Amino acid sequence: MRASRGTGIVLLALFAAAPPALAGQEDAAAAGKIVYDRWCAECHGETGQGDGSAAASMLPRPRDFAQALYQIRTTGSGQLPTDADIRFAIENGLPGTTMPGWPNLTDQEIDDVIVYLKSFSRFFAQGPAPEPLDFGSDPGGGPAAIEAGAAAYLTMLCEECHGLSGRGDGTSAPTLEDWRGLPIRAADLTEAWVFNGGSSVEDMHTRMLTGLDGTPMPSAIDAMNSGVVSPDEVWQLAHYLASFGPREMPPLREVIRVGRAEGGLPADGGEEAWAGVEAFHFPLSGQVVQLPRNFAPTVDGLWVQGLHDGNDVALRVQWNDPSNSPDPNWDEWQNKITAALDLDGAEAIALDSAGAPSVRPPDAVLLQFPFEMPEGTDRPYFLMGDAREPVYLWTWDSETGVGAARGRGLDSVEPLAEDPVAGEATWEEGRWTLYVRRPIEVESEGLDFVEGTPTPIAFQAWDGSSAEVGKRSSVSTWYYILLEPPASSTVVVTPLLAMLLTGAFGLVLVRRAQDRRRDR
Amino acid sequence: MKRYLSHPFWQGAIVVVASYVAFEYVIGYVLPVIGVASAPVPSSVIVEYMLIVLVGVLLYMSADEERWQRFREPIRETMVQPDRRTLRGILMVAFPVLIGWLAYERVKPSYAAPATLRAVHPAPPNQLTFRGETIELTGLENPLREEGSMEEHLAVGKRIYVRNCVPCHGDLLDGQGHYAQAFNPVPADFTSSGNLPQLTESYVFWRIVKGGPGLPREGTPWDSAMPAWETILEQDEIWATILYLYDQTGFPPRTWEEEGGHE
Repeated sequence: MRASRGTGIVLLALFAAAPPALAGQEDAAAAGKIVYDRWCAECHGETGQGDGSAAASMLPRPRDFAQALYQIRTTGSGQLPTDADIRFAIENGLPGTTMPGWPNLTDQEIDDVIVYLKSFSRFFAQGPAPEPLDFGSDPGGGPAAIEAGAAAYLTMLCEECHGLSGRGDGTSAPTLEDWRGLPIRAADLTEAWVFNGGSSVEDMHTRMLTGLDGTPMPSAIDAMNSGVVSPDEVWQLAHYLASFGPREMPPLREVIRVGRAEGGLPADGGEEAWAGVEAFHFPLSGQVVQLPRNFAPTVDGLWVQGLHDGNDVALRVQWNDPSNSPDPNWDEWQNKITAALDLDGAEAIALDSAGAPSVRPPDAVLLQFPFEMPEGTDRPYFLMGDAREPVYLWTWDSETGVGAARGRGLDSVEPLAEDPVAGEATWEEGRWTLYVRRPIEVESEGLDFVEGTPTPIAFQAWDGSSAEVGKRSSVSTWYYILLEPPASSTVVVTPLLAMLLTGAFGLVLVRRAQDRRRDR
Repeated sequence: MKRYLSHPFWQGAIVVVASYVAFEYVIGYVLPVIGVASAPVPSSVIVEYMLIVLVGVLLYMSADEERWQRFREPIRETMVQPDRRTLRGILMVAFPVLIGWLAYERVKPSYAAPATLRAVHPAPPNQLTFRGETIELTGLENPLREEGSMEEHLAVGKRIYVRNCVPCHGDLLDGQGHYAQAFNPVPADFTSSGNLPQLTESYVFWRIVKGGPGLPREGTPWDSAMPAWETILEQDEIWATILYLYDQTGFPPRTWEEEGGHE
């Protein structure tokens, strides 16, 4: 991209007093400004302070280039990033935030925009160019390294924020804030695909050594220098972190396969009964279709497992949520989220005279089905149906438990008291496990499942401690759930019959051909 | 080799095998590799195509008496000649097994999602109502092109887009916003030559105003997460956003002169 002449002249005039050695930089900054204004300014702001028009609906907020506090660096804590660090963030984006990667920009455009970003802060012009740290070399992974890393996890007090199981549910988690005083989550270490600095062992090791400036995440260098941990132990810790879960988001499979339980259905959501049952992952997004929208939801996905025995169907749904709402320990967090986030017209929860929220909303989830098995491909509207076509809901919240309801849109839910659906949920170390069970067919109003026929299913979730109530939820579009039919004899009989018939037909043909030849 | 190529039976066999390879593998897997948009052919469609190919080959072979005799010869030979006994035995087993396998493929339990046919750009209505106000779509142009400052319109459009559209359609307008992966169907990719340049601005206006719920049945309105933006935005804000979409992607809108309907 070439700088337009007008902008170039204006900038040249601005930089007229600069020494001649910087002339090349000025051209680059002028070219960078054009790229920046076109693609970056609406979030990061015209003056680079992270205060663009859309910033208030984003948590974490866009980077403030004037502060020059960069999280993703290869340089020491408190230092400026290298140009390569800034390029890394632009090229790859910051997963887990609203910052995408920018494959549409050329190398030259990225170089120019880096020069322009740095011009927002006076720090880059002072002093020498920042140098990357020496990260040493990885002594290697394996079970022993992971075990040593698990010990280092406790020595380094990682669990205080990230929790014992790494789900960002540590005791300090509700108090965390960034340099602006805005609430910030401790990373959920089980979801490496939303690590904003990358998910490889090297990436995690780098983040630990550099710290994430502007956040409560410190650098491990002090602990290494004072002998609390050795350099190798930090590498081992990185291997331990990598063992928390997969690097990539699990692939989306559209159909939840509900197998037939051998020897009875599980009686609860306990780990033993559900071990070995295939789990299906579904990503959730903020509800951004109807006002008031949720631009920064807590629950970003859930796992579903299912079993049935021909009479009943049982589902286990698991999702990560660092808070077991309602929980007064999260009052501060709830207040800060309410204050920091653009609630899109939703009424903020009022505070009492002591500054505590007047309402502590529960956590909640719902599973959505059509009210009746659909004919053809038609289905109710994915967002809880509408006036014409209702949906059938299994609802759960942390105050009233499991129930069923009829939905005719996001704000029209009518409980179905007669429905036999039952279940319970437990919260442990940042994860809810919901168990629900119901007969496959019911006499009361509601959906009858049909074995072997895919039934549409969709999900919604709320984190009460993040002031998620009403329409401010996490949602999915339609997927399917399929109850495995009983082993059918046709699967065996039909191919056998086809083989026998073909074989007999072939024999007759050959016999006739041979007879005719002999007759001749 | 030449002997086989000139023999009707082997010609027919080659045509059948080559057709199968084309339907099963070339269309679905080779074309995408060389950059042609394509998708695997459903097995039921392949069966249908193969029947047509088979009937075509038989018709051609039997159209000429001499060719028909030559075509049948290897088959007959295999059925009657004593020295072909081994081949005969193998075929007598292999053929029923193949048929049995095909039958199993058809009756075995399937755990695939049902196929849904979805029209990506369904035909637009002639008019729509915006919060009760009737607007004729036929011949409708973007009113902002004729009034006010284009620079200001684009600034408004960009602000509206980044605040409201980015979560799904993305900063790069490529349909890969940070929520895109949670939605099925995926959000529209405005950088694709199959979208904006194929559509008039009035069509885009209709899609934005009425969103997913306003789609006709063939557009599967129950699946789309596109909001009906008349509930959130003003008309001018929508027209400004449309200006921004075309400006930022560099595509010109389709004009009414070349418009022959969207079907």
